[in-house]
Amino acid sequence: MAQYIFRRMLLMIPTLIGMTLVLFAIVRFAPGLSTGGGAFSTAGEMSNKQSRAEAEKIMQRRLHLVDAQGNKIALPMQYIYWLSDTVRGNFGESIQYNQPVAKLIKERLPTTMFLNLISTFIVYLIAIPGGMLASVKRGKTFDVLWGFSTLALYSLPIIWIGDMMIGFLANPRYLAWFPATGIHSTDTSRMTFVAYVGDYLWHVVLPVLCLSYGGFAYLSKLKRAAMLDNLTQDYVRTARAKGLSNFVVITRHVFRNSLLPMITVFAGIIPGLLGGAVIVETIFSIKGMGDLMLNATFARDLPIIQAVAFIGSVIALICLLIADIGYALADPRVSYD
Amino acid sequence: MPLLTHGCPMTNTDTLTPALAAPDSRVRTFWSMVWRIYRSRLINRIALMWLFLIIVIAVIIPFIANDAPYTVFINGHREFPLFRNLTRIDLIILIFAAAAATFAVVFRHTLRLLLSLDELRAKRLRWALALLAIATLSSGVLYLVKSDYLDNRDYHQLAQSGQLQHPVYAPLHWGFADQEPLNLDRVFEYPSHDHLLGTDGNGRDALARLLWSVRIVLAIGLISEVIALVIGVFYGAINGYFLGRVDILGMRFVEVVEAIPTLFLLITFVALYGRNIFMLMVIIGLTSWTGIARFVRAEFLRIRHLDYVTAAKASGLPVRSILFRHMLPNGLTPVIVNFTFGVAGAVGSESILSFLGIGVEPPTPSWGSMLNEAGNPAETFRWWLAIAPGLMIFLTVFAYNIIGEGLRDAIDPRTNKAE
Repeated sequence: MAQYIFRRMLLMIPTLIGMTLVLFAIVRFAPGLSTGGGAFSTAGEMSNKQSRAEAEKIMQRRLHLVDAQGNKIALPMQYIYWLSDTVRGNFGESIQYNQPVAKLIKERLPTTMFLNLISTFIVYLIAIPGGMLASVKRGKTFDVLWGFSTLALYSLPIIWIGDMMIGFLANPRYLAWFPATGIHSTDTSRMTFVAYVGDYLWHVVLPVLCLSYGGFAYLSKLKRAAMLDNLTQDYVRTARAKGLSNFVVITRHVFRNSLLPMITVFAGIIPGLLGGAVIVETIFSIKGMGDLMLNATFARDLPIIQAVAFIGSVIALICLLIADIGYALADPRVSYD
Repeated sequence: MPLLTHGCPMTNTDTLTPALAAPDSRVRTFWSMVWRIYRSRLINRIALMWLFLIIVIAVIIPFIANDAPYTVFINGHREFPLFRNLTRIDLIILIFAAAAATFAVVFRHTLRLLLSLDELRAKRLRWALALLAIATLSSGVLYLVKSDYLDNRDYHQLAQSGQLQHPVYAPLHWGFADQEPLNLDRVFEYPSHDHLLGTDGNGRDALARLLWSVRIVLAIGLISEVIALVIGVFYGAINGYFLGRVDILGMRFVEVVEAIPTLFLLITFVALYGRNIFMLMVIIGLTSWTGIARFVRAEFLRIRHLDYVTAAKASGLPVRSILFRHMLPNGLTPVIVNFTFGVAGAVGSESILSFLGIGVEPPTPSWGSMLNEAGNPAETFRWWLAIAPGLMIFLTVFAYNIIGEGLRDAIDPRTNKAE
């Protein structure tokens, strides 16, 4: 098993390198970056003392476009400098905040990850029973309605639902059941642990709802298809033939055998969730990775943009790895060699 | 091709053509079968009607929501300001819409000619090509010859001061950028008789902006997905045909692109490469081709072992011909499902980008940016400005998704067999 994991990780390395190349290329070939003019001269909220030219010089220095003497660095060397920094966890310094990017990300990553993990959990929690029931009641009213309503949920724009939720459920003018911003109250230091967790949960209800409702359609459809595949297999007939009740056949046999595809798609839904986090964090003013990235976009704070995109991709890759390992654990037919 | 009763909506011809007529008189193509299965569900037809409705709105929007009157007497002269103000883009869209409408008529009409399938196809193809050529040529000429008329007149002010005699207005006499003239207390107005959906922060009519957005949304959704389709089909075809080293490297690259969260990629692109409409189309296209590429590759893996491909190879045809003339037409049909879902995704992406303030540039209206302009819901929640655009995004995305599902059910033989 350990060998399998190790081999799987080795296979990730080319993908990781390819990813860094793509990100590097996207940033380096942006118009105005290497010439120091054009669109790039709108470098965001700089302190007033620094002129634009100076700001650009700093940016070029921080992105390893020029060395300390102001000489241009060749493109391959730029990549190697950036890569060696990144591998060591040094993402450079933010233009906007004048702080190490790594520090900014460390502050915000847990927020985003927790939001995503809770949402993923809820998606699975609802989609699996839903898909199961739909497959059992195949072609009946529940199946049709469930398919239709999850597709409708999938089509509902988060930006709209988020706005509506805040406007009607977190606005003193209508109903103020939930807080509209942040994931903590302001005075968390005096809270007991239980109160702290309660406060956190109270804050994340709406964001998590926003993040999760879109995922039901895909997962429950997958679960339904896997169930249907299994229901026609011989072992189901055998189980029925030996007199097991329908309930036991479904829950003990078919259910477990149709779980495999759910594990594989775990990796697939994480990038989407990370994207959703950008929107949710913006709507609910949560200081997370998405919020960091969006503000960096307005300020053209390239080190942050590069770093956040990189970390998001690495997270997605790690999820891919976890899904692979989970698959290998769950399915005895997968060989470890 | 199995012989099934065709699914084209004909009512009269069934009675006109006696049963003795040639069996070819009823066209039984793959697509008529697909259409028959597709239209058997009400929701599928509703989705298609919604799409048709917003396409019609996109075409004739200058005639629906415009501050310039159709016709008016100014200083005793009759003028046609609305027609004069039509831009080149408006006219080109009208030309293509007319061509499409003509083709629809031809399509229906040719059914009654009792032609064989090949003749019918050839005839339709000739018409399609001719119409396309005429439309392209005339819009090209138009684009070069005509220049857009810049109308400085404020028709609302002119109307208030009584200088317009006998004006005939469009149903909604607000354009997407017209503001209530010099009247600061008319911003963020509640829905009223003057403004059915209220006004936004600049005193512009929300309904007019809502309707004008249809164009941007449709254009970005379709064109970006066409870009994705072209990239995805070529990429997938080449990987699926050559396999080996090309495929291994190529699919690694697809994995790389898929691993980067799409919205992060979109934001990075927009931050670095600017944000005009064409850039948005290209960027959304560049971030959504991987699914199509995977799908086409899988199709090609299946097709490349079929006999006719082997025959094509054996007869010494060049790779270009095998790939694009033999394999592509057979592998392409199911991609239309991915395409439809892709358009839904692109409409969503555009609305998100516009909502975040990095999408289409003001004053161009788009549902996402209208939602943004409705303001922060935690403070003053202007629900009347937020509900309508969100609903439009939802209905459009939902319609595309329903069409995608319906097409998949109709095209995929497995689901057919099961049901």
